[in-house]
Amino acid sequence: MSGAAGEDSSPAAARGAGYNGGTLRTARVSREGTVVEESVLAVREVTKTFGPVRAVDRLSFSVRRGTITGLLGRNGAGKTTTLRMINGIFLPDSGAIELFGTTEAAATRDRVGYLPEERGLYRKMRVLEQLLFLAAIKGRRPADVRPAAERWLRRFELWDKRAAKLEELSKGNQQKVQLIGALLHEPEVVTLDEPMSGLDPVNVVLVRTILKELKAQGRAILLSTHMMAEAEKLVDEIVLIHQGQAVLAGELDDVRASFGKNTVHLTFEGDGGFLATLPGVAHGRVETNVAELRLETGADPQGVLAAAVARLRVSHFEVASPSLEEIFIDRVGAGAESSGHAVASEAAS
Amino acid sequence: MRKAFAVFKREYLEVVRKKSFIIMTLIFPFLMGGMMFVPTLLAVRGIEGKRVVVVDGTGKLSEAFAEKPSDQQGENSPMEELTGKKAGNQTGQRVTRSPELKAEYVAASGDLKVAAQPYLDRLKLDRGRGADRLDGVLLIPGDAFTNPEAKMTYYSRAASDFITQERLGNIVNRAVSRGRLASRGIEPAEADRLLKRLQLEGVRVSKSGEEKKGGELSFLIGFLFVALLIFPNLIYGQEVMRGIVQEKSERIVEILISSVPSLQLLGGKVMGLAAVGLTQVMAWMVMGGLMAAYTGGAAAMAGINVFQYFNLSVIPWFFVFFVLAYLTNVCIYAVAGSVSNSEKEAQQFMGPIMMIVFIPWILAFPILQNPDSTLATVLSLIPVFTPVTMFMRVLVAEPPVSQLILSIALSVATIYVFSWITAKIFRVGILSYGKRPSPAELWRWLKVA
Repeated sequence: MSGAAGEDSSPAAARGAGYNGGTLRTARVSREGTVVEESVLAVREVTKTFGPVRAVDRLSFSVRRGTITGLLGRNGAGKTTTLRMINGIFLPDSGAIELFGTTEAAATRDRVGYLPEERGLYRKMRVLEQLLFLAAIKGRRPADVRPAAERWLRRFELWDKRAAKLEELSKGNQQKVQLIGALLHEPEVVTLDEPMSGLDPVNVVLVRTILKELKAQGRAILLSTHMMAEAEKLVDEIVLIHQGQAVLAGELDDVRASFGKNTVHLTFEGDGGFLATLPGVAHGRVETNVAELRLETGADPQGVLAAAVARLRVSHFEVASPSLEEIFIDRVGAGAESSGHAVASEAAS
Repeated sequence: MRKAFAVFKREYLEVVRKKSFIIMTLIFPFLMGGMMFVPTLLAVRGIEGKRVVVVDGTGKLSEAFAEKPSDQQGENSPMEELTGKKAGNQTGQRVTRSPELKAEYVAASGDLKVAAQPYLDRLKLDRGRGADRLDGVLLIPGDAFTNPEAKMTYYSRAASDFITQERLGNIVNRAVSRGRLASRGIEPAEADRLLKRLQLEGVRVSKSGEEKKGGELSFLIGFLFVALLIFPNLIYGQEVMRGIVQEKSERIVEILISSVPSLQLLGGKVMGLAAVGLTQVMAWMVMGGLMAAYTGGAAAMAGINVFQYFNLSVIPWFFVFFVLAYLTNVCIYAVAGSVSNSEKEAQQFMGPIMMIVFIPWILAFPILQNPDSTLATVLSLIPVFTPVTMFMRVLVAEPPVSQLILSIALSVATIYVFSWITAKIFRVGILSYGKRPSPAELWRWLKVA
């Protein structure tokens, strides 16, 4: 993530649709003054409407090499539409998508990998053949990518199923085939729409490892998801979109820090239902044996701890920034609409 | 182009490997054989109300067209064999009556042509359904008994009415042979074992009075070729449509569109399935050739020389018009597939498309019978009907070269325009899940896609 927001060290300014219409720099300068990796994907003031619905509304962000950027938002926020525009499936109504410094989609489509949200594979086609076809339409010779296809299939424990028709595979295995299809042609920009969906925990860990490897190889990864806990483990930067607009953007750590260290994270045994209503707690989310409590300004975390210890067996207590999930709910959850727009207008001013 | 080839290869292999393709390739020739055989059988059984005049130069063959002579016990006259009815009698002229065929016998002396002229005039001019109507005139030369090289002539408006022609030939041949043998003192019973046949040459009479050699290409061969032209088109045109709808519903389009330019995608798809169709047709042709070689002998024994009706020079034309017909139709199918969200929805387009594809098929009968008629000429110059209709005309006649060139040029132009539009609509339609693109949107895509 960079763009207009990125060069400003103030995380608060990074919130909202920070891009303000000028030229977007493809390289950015870090706080220390060194030039950081160029951005290979830039979304500029992009708008896309479907009939009366504004799916994406003047959205701007960029993605750099060697980073994982999380495109976060609720269902219908515009994540998938954005990914489709990046992959040349839809044309933006206005604005531009720039890949590798050009808006000429035909010239760059082979350097981009795409994992669609819904399975996009031929049901009757055999696994290995299908993968070689997917690489071929990205301009690679089947014979050249075959060894890589074998490596990927072995890694995902699918080599024995290489001759099976896709429809004979479980949903999770189909998802793995789709993921290999998105990566086999060695794209420099990898766009993934809910890559973890349908995967078991073992495979989730495997995919996470793979994404980190890709990042280490210098690929630029754009990951669309609504699973905040997953995003928190993976992403370097976030773009949180709501109703087609970016309401929060920046490096994950900065974004979290901007919310201040005013949140109590508790792990306990017992019925913690009362925690949310304690004095000094502005907003509390209590689940079985865990609670995340945002405190009012000036409230003392120790008071909360004392109240908790009085009625519960507390095994973990931490005062830290809110979790991404908490931020997400705060920004785009029910009733957050007005605050989201407030942030956007604040950033624009 | 490599991407288009990848799409081409995938489409081709997917269909060719299907069991249904293999089964269809293997059984279709037999199905067609059945389709050919049954109408032939029906045609033989029901030569309905054909009126022919037999002008006999020898004057000795009336018996062949008369009721069964009492001295030929145990054997039917050829006419009765043909019609299964006893012939009637009339003073002066013998007229054999049956619901299937009415042969008017005229004994002629002197110049046969002169004697036959009134009947030929009637044949040329009369197209009504009244009592004067004539379907054909058979001329038997005066030296039929003495000259083994003598030729009979059968005049008709339809060169494809080969069954009547063949049967009349048989009747006369048998009678002539008997006569020949009887004159040498051979008993009729023995004569039958020694029967020898004469050649029969079909002559087609056109309105202008011009006489063309007929009988080289038969009606049935015509139908067979037209079927070979139309059915693969229909099957693989639908396959293109189904494939597009399927890719839409399985969301593969997203992957395809994000990887392959739409023109290459459509081109690879269309050419892949065209190759499938050609593969199948060639397999059928090889099988048909083998079957023809095998059954040719049997057909010859039945008195029909199959190869007499078949002209090898038609085959290159077949491939030319196959490709033209295929490319024309497939564009229409691709558009239907692109704007539909499900196979069910796509089926709604089938009716109109089938009509376009089938109009030449429905009109095949009149076109094959009158390949130079106004109907045939006009239809063969209307773009979407051009390939099939013009092929029919090439099959049974020799249309003017200028019309041939014009029809091919028209087809190519049509295909060019169609594929341009199709590629654009394909690109827009293929992504419009549930929602039709607005005209403004369409225009934008036409400019950009």
